[in-house]
Amino acid sequence: MEFSYEVNGSYAEVKADGRLNMVSAPKLREFVTDVIAGGSNRIVVNLENTAFMDSSGLGALIGCLKAARQAGGDLRIAAVQPQVKMVLQLTSMDKVLTAYGTAEEAFSND
Amino acid sequence: MTEVLASRSFHGLAAVDAIESVHDDLDSLWLDVPFVQAMDQMTFTTAVIESASNIVQHAEPAGQDPVELGVDITVRPTLLQARVSAYNAKPPFGLMEPATPGEHAESGRGLALIQALVTTVTFERQDGTNTWVLSRTSQG
Repeated sequence: MEFSYEVNGSYAEVKADGRLNMVSAPKLREFVTDVIAGGSNRIVVNLENTAFMDSSGLGALIGCLKAARQAGGDLRIAAVQPQVKMVLQLTSMDKVLTAYGTAEEAFSND
Repeated sequence: MTEVLASRSFHGLAAVDAIESVHDDLDSLWLDVPFVQAMDQMTFTTAVIESASNIVQHAEPAGQDPVELGVDITVRPTLLQARVSAYNAKPPFGLMEPATPGEHAESGRGLALIQALVTTVTFERQDGTNTWVLSRTSQG
């Protein structure tokens, strides 16, 4: 899995391309922690190219959400693909991790 | 028992790298059986990776030999089945019932997720090997 980010106005967009599994989950936590430490506490994780997520990946997203909130911000997810949507729904975590159609929409009403 | 249409087997050390290998095996398996519906492929893949990850993360060696992971997957006309095994492993510790973690918990959802994804999950222990058998009735 490859990570990248860019700051777009009031939020940082993190892209996570590949499989978000027990291999990459710790790396996502580390990456987002660094983005937050760099001064961005409003994070959008763009999952457009995340073809797969398991419960380890879900746990990492929740950890990143908590880290963003502890820093006074928030974390939202965007462009969720069918398998990721299925995992979010089956675990009822779609109520906690709000999904938006695009990264641009995620903080557009704040 | 009906005809096996396609299969894959993995056997190696129960280490992080094994997860990507098993996932690659699943991706190539679906290319052999394109008639298996996308929903069945997606749910079954997720269940197998959850089970294999559970072994890599939690299985403890019973003796001096390291725990090894085995994943044997078969596709039959209306049945997807995986035998996910931990060799040289202690019996699983504690309850194997799915947990109900709080919404901000970062772990503990794997077993419940597996049960939601497949039709049946059974557990066998024989000769120091723990095996979870995941079966999903496919729509063909």
